[in-house]
Amino acid sequence: MMEKVNYLVGNSDFSLDPFEPFSKEACVFLNNLSNELNSLKNIKDYPDLKALSFWCRNKNISKLKKNFNLEKNRLGLGVVFHITPANIPTNFVYSLIFGLLTGNSNIVKVPSQKFEQVSIICLLIKKILKKTNILLKNKITIVQYKNNNEFTKKMSSLCNARLIWGGNQTINNLREFKINERTLDVTFADRYSFCIMDQEKMRNMKDIELKYLVNRFYNDTYLVDQNACSSPHLIVWLGKNSKSVKEKFWKKLYELVKIKYKFTESALVEKYADLCKYATHLNNIKSIKKFDNLIYKIELKNVDINNHNSRGKWGLFFEYSLNDINGIKHIINNKYQTLTYYGVDKLLIKKFVLENNLKGIDRIVPVGQSLNIGLLWDGYDILNLLSRGIEIQ
Amino acid sequence: MNSRKQFFKEISKLTKFHYNNSKEYKKIINLLYPEKIIKTVDSIPFIPAKLFKDMDLKSIPDNKVFKILESSGTSGGKPSKIYLDKENAKRQTLVLNEIVSNILGKKRIPMLIIDEKKNIFNPKKFDAKTAAILGFSLFGNSHHYLIEDKKINYKNLNNFLDKYSTSNFLIFGFTSYIYQFLLKDFEKNKIKKNFSKGILIHGGGWKKMEAIKISNKIFKKKLNEKLKLQNIFNYYGLIEQTGSIFFECQNCNCFTTSKYSDVLIRDKNFKILPSNKKGFIQLLSLLPKSYPGHSIITEDIGEIIDNNCNSCFGKKKFLVHGRAEKSEVRGCSDI
Repeated sequence: MMEKVNYLVGNSDFSLDPFEPFSKEACVFLNNLSNELNSLKNIKDYPDLKALSFWCRNKNISKLKKNFNLEKNRLGLGVVFHITPANIPTNFVYSLIFGLLTGNSNIVKVPSQKFEQVSIICLLIKKILKKTNILLKNKITIVQYKNNNEFTKKMSSLCNARLIWGGNQTINNLREFKINERTLDVTFADRYSFCIMDQEKMRNMKDIELKYLVNRFYNDTYLVDQNACSSPHLIVWLGKNSKSVKEKFWKKLYELVKIKYKFTESALVEKYADLCKYATHLNNIKSIKKFDNLIYKIELKNVDINNHNSRGKWGLFFEYSLNDINGIKHIINNKYQTLTYYGVDKLLIKKFVLENNLKGIDRIVPVGQSLNIGLLWDGYDILNLLSRGIEIQ
Repeated sequence: MNSRKQFFKEISKLTKFHYNNSKEYKKIINLLYPEKIIKTVDSIPFIPAKLFKDMDLKSIPDNKVFKILESSGTSGGKPSKIYLDKENAKRQTLVLNEIVSNILGKKRIPMLIIDEKKNIFNPKKFDAKTAAILGFSLFGNSHHYLIEDKKINYKNLNNFLDKYSTSNFLIFGFTSYIYQFLLKDFEKNKIKKNFSKGILIHGGGWKKMEAIKISNKIFKKKLNEKLKLQNIFNYYGLIEQTGSIFFECQNCNCFTTSKYSDVLIRDKNFKILPSNKKGFIQLLSLLPKSYPGHSIITEDIGEIIDNNCNSCFGKKKFLVHGRAEKSEVRGCSDI
């Protein structure tokens, strides 16, 4: 059965036209959105809205603009069709921002599940568009629908680029709908992420520093049930092996999770089932430790090319200790997205990726920044991808 | 020896048996319970029911597999697979017999099955429902099936009632079927006799009842009003522990354990909860021998009840409150 398309912002009379990347209007719009979000009374109930507000603020956008080539020889592609993931409520805005900053009109399909965040954001966008921004008026269209292949087909045939977020299934489904010869598909597929920490650097850490580190680690993982593509599943402990350093880390994390994490009941038995499954399937387990049901930790004897299939949710981690980072080069494939680090020189990691000609690891960011979305995402240079460069001689 | 002590002795023995005979179970115990000390029933390791969906767990060699019991898998996804050998299948029947004869006595009585014959005698499918119906069929004779081609066969029903409704007869079905066919679809004017001598045994399918918000109490009341049914016995059990089911006490409506079973309630961290506190239901059974299903943590929420009920005095009893609250997982991965 075909469902009606619900227009949350805009209507069927949408623009197909591009405009200049980093246009003044788009930057002002984002700044307004940041302010509107920030002045919400209940913003503190929504850490994701707060993060979004922070992201859209003038300072961040100006910084991004500075990194952009200023030759002024670029224009957006036209209209971008965004298919955003079903279970991250604010992801669609980031996708939309990608489209806006690169100078494109946007049709954004948001999750069909009702998220309060989606309604709040759509309301604010409408409010801002009403006040000003003639340029952007019909360039932001936000739709919600579940089963409507006709609409997907139509949008696919007329857009100039599709940004497809979601699992491999979603992407393959979308591929069934034809796009124009010149249309670009940018896919943000299912990815795997991990974390690397240096035990020696952590040996003499002050309590307050450890607390800070653990907090940031929490934000990368528990904040999104450890289920974002950039949330780490594996912790690689570099340097001379120190049981006490690792123990201190887990203990501190446990103390934090205990007071902060809201664990839904039904997830609990599923998490325990995952643990039992790994215990039976994997042959490289050294030991398993449980901190109540809040942290499950599986210590590995060795790691192999299938490592990216061992994933945790709701705080189930794998850990592996080794001296030299080069000892894991054989496990990296194109599934690997984010590597968060602590106490390790980022240039060393950069060298590790480049000199070993690795197919994976698109992001090398400090612990705590795994979810910080940027214009270089999943290895794609969004600004250049979604805009057209004009050669002038 | 008192029966609880005996139970502990046997469940410990069973745990050791599965440890020595199921490769997968052994790995789980070695890694998750490395201390391997079992002093009380609380310390018997438990595994989630879900595991039987995701992997083949058995404590017998392949050539001893006699039957594979499959769950209907209604909540989507893969069905559970329970591997039975002849001995285990027999034990299920014997224990079920013992538990049910406490209610029905030893004499067989005419039986009305609230299901379709063709569902049951399908050689390709041996699921929980089939197992339950076949298991309970042993307590009846002159079996009649109420449903034919998804509709009530009133002719057949009237036939049955004409012959047998003057003395005790057995009615058996899954809860959701009872609701659908004896309450919702049933047209009273099409029968001449009533069900007042019927003894209804029903179980399973309560997730559906929960969804339409019909409580056990209302369910009973409605059956009584509509069909004059007075003897209604609800039972609770897992497909992984077929046979050692928990019947509801007719007086206090709690489920009660038998000498073959036990129940524990655990909190969010799987710590044991005292009576009258809600938590995850763990069920133990002495029956599963061909597969390691003797101690299972469920996603059902329940509580142990301490009361002074005269009818089930001395028995351990509990209530089931439903499934653990579900909520959408955050994150962007496929689930």
